[in-house]
Amino acid sequence: MLQLVDVYKIYHVGDEEVRALDGVSLAVGAGEFLGIVGPSGSGKSTLMHILGCLDTADFGTYYLDGRPVEFYSESQLATVRNEQIGFVFQSFNLIGHMTIAENVELPLLYRGTKASERRELVHEALSQVGLWERRSHRPNSVSGGQLQRAAIARAIVTRPSLLLGDEPTGNLDSRTGHEIMELFCELNARGRTIVLITHDQSIAKRTNRVVHIRDGKVVA
Amino acid sequence: MLAQSVRTALAAIGANKMRAFLTMLGIIIGVTALVVLVSLVSSATRAVTDEISSLGNDLLSVTIRDDKGKPLKSADLAQIAQDSTSISLIAPVSTSSATAKQGTSTYSLTLTGTTNAYFWIMGSELAEGRFLLDADLKNNTSVLVLSYETADEIYGRTDVVGLELALDGVKYLIIGVLAEEEGLMTSMGDNYTAYVPYTVLERATSAASGGGASGMSGAGGGASSGASGITSFYAAAKEADNIDLAEAELTASLLGLLKGDEDAFSIRNNNSLSETMASVTDTFALLLGAIAGISLLVGGIGIMNIMLVSVTERTREIGIRKAVGAKRLAITLQFLIEALVICLIGCALGIVFSGIILGVVNLTVGADSSTTYSFSPEVVIVAVGFSTFIGVAFGLYPANKAARMHPIDALRFE
Repeated sequence: MLQLVDVYKIYHVGDEEVRALDGVSLAVGAGEFLGIVGPSGSGKSTLMHILGCLDTADFGTYYLDGRPVEFYSESQLATVRNEQIGFVFQSFNLIGHMTIAENVELPLLYRGTKASERRELVHEALSQVGLWERRSHRPNSVSGGQLQRAAIARAIVTRPSLLLGDEPTGNLDSRTGHEIMELFCELNARGRTIVLITHDQSIAKRTNRVVHIRDGKVVA
Repeated sequence: MLAQSVRTALAAIGANKMRAFLTMLGIIIGVTALVVLVSLVSSATRAVTDEISSLGNDLLSVTIRDDKGKPLKSADLAQIAQDSTSISLIAPVSTSSATAKQGTSTYSLTLTGTTNAYFWIMGSELAEGRFLLDADLKNNTSVLVLSYETADEIYGRTDVVGLELALDGVKYLIIGVLAEEEGLMTSMGDNYTAYVPYTVLERATSAASGGGASGMSGAGGGASSGASGITSFYAAAKEADNIDLAEAELTASLLGLLKGDEDAFSIRNNNSLSETMASVTDTFALLLGAIAGISLLVGGIGIMNIMLVSVTERTREIGIRKAVGAKRLAITLQFLIEALVICLIGCALGIVFSGIILGVVNLTVGADSSTTYSFSPEVVIVAVGFSTFIGVAFGLYPANKAARMHPIDALRFE
């Protein structure tokens, strides 16, 4: 499904060199539910950005569905993000002046999907996360858990092969967090490949496999 | 996609109504200034040039200053018309003033001594009776034709054919009344005119300057020198397009008659008058348009400013859009369309305001003049075109700035 081979990401802060990723190799199979666990500053967010094609590695190769993405142009990366990857962020990242349905519809608009098909897909995604009744609400009028459900609906509306979660329960209370994890498990049970980043061991326990990362290196 | 961008733009504008309106204000003022000023000038221009061309685009007006001791006769004019291929009619004109007496009132009239050709050259129309005929000239009959305004002023009616009017003690038979003239020139001054046979006026004025018995005062007319000779006449070209050829032929004929002295006469071409007029007003319109254009430009800078603010404010939104797969072009289009929508709404409001202002002008100033101030469609097109240009030109930089953002940096923006 996806494979990282000896990936480096190096930042320069003043004269200091920060190796956010220091030779990471990782493979995720189709249908897997992987948890990446590490303390803050361990490089797990950087890893997530590279996996999500929001950023590119300085060295090393990232194969997505068997194809190396390092030679992709900015526009091709945008297409990959749109068609193959669904992103769920810690801070939900919904657009405030749009309704929940419009937020969920957004990736389909950039894909050029027809209006009738868009309606169908939005209905399907919102129904899956149990938010169809709230479709015409704006993000500021629903709860945190519902926001994250909306964000998940937006991530799965394009039926991507890979679902990425960057601390998706980080801004939620533990009960709501568990509900969201239920949802992820459910989606995984339906065959979706999921990679979750977390620093919460109890969340990580619910995944199939856990990878620990520290100082830009995979430690276990 | 495009429809979605327009909807997003409208939503973004709606979210900041006051700010959007203030930004639009520059465009609204610019467009209003452009449309109102140019419409006013071009309406006034149209009125003036219409007036000039109603005097005849095919008209040449000739003044003889020095006849070299050989007074110009009617026969000379007939010869000129005959020799020329492009001149259809020539009418001698002399003017004089006279006092008309009707009942106990007296009226000061302008007397024009001329021939039947004058009627056709001027394109006049009759309300009553007939115009001067050749027989009137040949027989020196004391007949006159009144202008509509004159008949109305003296008699309070226009069916006065057959009545006699005393001019400086001499009785004239009224044979016709011209139709009412509408236009800027006639409404500008009192226009009490009477037309008499050229020969009759010539004789009356020469008698006046010779004998002094009559009260008629010769004024620049056909016979101010005492000796009878034509000093002023109108010539009409067969076709308005031929006016320059007619002028050339007339010049040649007159040079022949006046011993080659170019300064002995002058020819005024109505066509060149209206051309001059048009070029003056065009320059005026261009100047006002340029001033309005500058205010539109300033409005455009305001739009660029607010779009830059908008891009910064919505950095996170841009990051989100990029994360879900928006390409550069999509982001560019989104912000470009937003700038364009602001500009075009401003433009539409400006055009509406212009319509209101022009309406008010028509109700106040326009009510007592014959000129109506209307939209000139060209300027509306120019305004829309210019607003579009400004929206694109000043929206491009902010839109491009938004499109070039790195998704990670944009998402992290607080």
